[in-house]
Amino acid sequence: MKKFFVLLVMFFGVSAAWAQDLTVDEIVAKANNRSYYQGKDGNAKATMVVTDAQGRTRQRQLTILKLNIQEGGDQKYFVYFHKPNDVKGMSYIVWKHAGGKDDDRWLYLPAMDLVRRIAASDKRSSFAGTTFLYEDISGRSMDLDTHELSASDAAHYIIKNVPKDAASVEFSYYMMKIDKNNFVPMMAEYYDKSGKLYRTIEALEVKDIQGYPTVTKMKAADLNANSHTITEFSEVAYDVGLTDDIFTERFLRNPPQQWLKE
Amino acid sequence: MRRAFLTVLAFFSLTVACAQAVDLPSWHGFVEQAYGGRVSRDSLTKHQNYNMLEQRWQLKTRYRIPGENALSRWNGVLTYKGDFLLDEYFGASGSYEVRECHVAFSPAGAVDIKAGRQVLTWGTGDYLFINDLFPKDYVSFYIGRDDEYLKKPSDALRVSAYPKIANIDFVVIPHFTPNTMPEGDRLSFFDSFQGGIAGRESDRNAVKPALQAENMQYALRVYRTFGSMEGALYYYRGFDPSPRSYLDEANRQLFYERLDAYGASVRSPFAGGISHAEVGYYRSRQDPNGTNRLVENSMFKGMVGYEKDLGHDLKVGGQYLYEQKLDYAEYQAALLPYDYFWDERRHLLTQRITKLYKNQTVMLGLFNFWSPSDRDGYARASCAYDMSDQWKLVVGVNIPWGEDMITDFGMMAKNKNAFVRVRYSF
Repeated sequence: MKKFFVLLVMFFGVSAAWAQDLTVDEIVAKANNRSYYQGKDGNAKATMVVTDAQGRTRQRQLTILKLNIQEGGDQKYFVYFHKPNDVKGMSYIVWKHAGGKDDDRWLYLPAMDLVRRIAASDKRSSFAGTTFLYEDISGRSMDLDTHELSASDAAHYIIKNVPKDAASVEFSYYMMKIDKNNFVPMMAEYYDKSGKLYRTIEALEVKDIQGYPTVTKMKAADLNANSHTITEFSEVAYDVGLTDDIFTERFLRNPPQQWLKE
Repeated sequence: MRRAFLTVLAFFSLTVACAQAVDLPSWHGFVEQAYGGRVSRDSLTKHQNYNMLEQRWQLKTRYRIPGENALSRWNGVLTYKGDFLLDEYFGASGSYEVRECHVAFSPAGAVDIKAGRQVLTWGTGDYLFINDLFPKDYVSFYIGRDDEYLKKPSDALRVSAYPKIANIDFVVIPHFTPNTMPEGDRLSFFDSFQGGIAGRESDRNAVKPALQAENMQYALRVYRTFGSMEGALYYYRGFDPSPRSYLDEANRQLFYERLDAYGASVRSPFAGGISHAEVGYYRSRQDPNGTNRLVENSMFKGMVGYEKDLGHDLKVGGQYLYEQKLDYAEYQAALLPYDYFWDERRHLLTQRITKLYKNQTVMLGLFNFWSPSDRDGYARASCAYDMSDQWKLVVGVNIPWGEDMITDFGMMAKNKNAFVRVRYSF
């Protein structure tokens, strides 16, 4: 009888948790952590294929290393370019700062042995000439938008995000479709100032990697330019033991061999 | 010579094919054709209508040392990069330059070593150098070769250590490599022995320090970050990389005077952009008091700069450089009548603007040097188009100008050119 009572309490406890509605900010925070902050660290090889309106393609191939300094907050990134061949060997470090402060970015050009500091306050510019924007890769701070749960079905939350500073971005709002099960953002649709849909980002494939639901294939489309980029992440691994020192000038000049996915 | 080029081409193609067949490290590089036409004729130089016409073939590879030896345990990596250049300007003469050939490894947790031929760069300036006294090629710069060729490689040993308190780079260069400066055959310049702008008739020569222990060069950088700010201290002991001192006036001989340089720099985000400041004190060891009219005086140099991203792939930057010849009174007192002499102070401003179009495949760039004190300047404008991942087209102009024939840019005024480069990367 006692056992039954315990089970009963557990049952109600669990259902209570299920029933308890998450606030919209909690949903967005979970989705943000899912997209950018899984694991203590991670690395992956990214292959990006840009297709323009005429069907011509360009390819970028990179190794990306990521270290979380604090969940939902500061992060460090190391990017090494394998392709195209004219930029092979170039590497890139970002110290991403949450909370308004501009990111610190350094670029290393091996042909000149030159470490250049990148003045890059515009996060809505193209990432490496692809349809993805810098902000799509490193994440957009949650605090920059107001969030509103505009719809919800059995499988997804649909969230409307409106920028607090409308002048700082090219969109008027964007809709995000988040998987209720695992909080993976499956689709983002950006509307311009006249309310027209002009840009989409879509998760094409989600895999479970070390227990972390991970988008392994995604597509960004520019509907005005009729171009798109498909990014595939391979050799994804979490909690591999990256250390803070990798994200410094030392390894910018001498890329960490053991982590490069040639 | 064309046959030689084709032979070399065939040989490299074969090497690349073989390497791929037996899974050796992959080779990459490019083939490039470049032409630079003069804006106005220059009858002083070898060719009056152009100053660049060349084909270049670059091959490079990186090879991670395998096996169980010490170098592989230390993450040893071999890097090789060489350029075959067929220079039509000099009668289709072929030359091969090894630009990089070094081994890099980490024998201890916080020590990196790079030994061999390598390009060395440090400091904060944009086309301006105070504490970077490593060799440069200003001929390549003026005729419109890729920026890569502004830097010349050094045969050096670089030891880097990373203790907690600061990072240290120590470079030993046993053999002196001078800057490549205009010599008259390709670019006319001010030659004091000729008493004016000289071309092919210039017959001065610069005597390099011999390869011996006392002529070793040493360069040291100690640097660290303070949050987002970077700070660095520099020391250099070696030679002025440009021949500015006179060895033997009768025989038209110049030399590279001994130089010690002490400097510091900071670089930091500021008001949504990146600011930098750098200072350097050059001590002329063979003329510490400035009393020898034949040897360059000690100098002070300082600069500040700022770069900002205005959004929409538009970046702008500006710098101010101040140079002062020290012991100027002694210099003036030592001058003989009819000596050419240089001002005590030089002020130089630079401006950069870069705009990207078409998903960053088209880059328009304009860089200006302007010296109000020398009343001269140099405009560099270019448009680069990445036609595909393989093909790249660059067109541009180099416009040095000035009122005075003895100033840095003024003396180059007859070398204005417009260039085009087509490159296929693989």
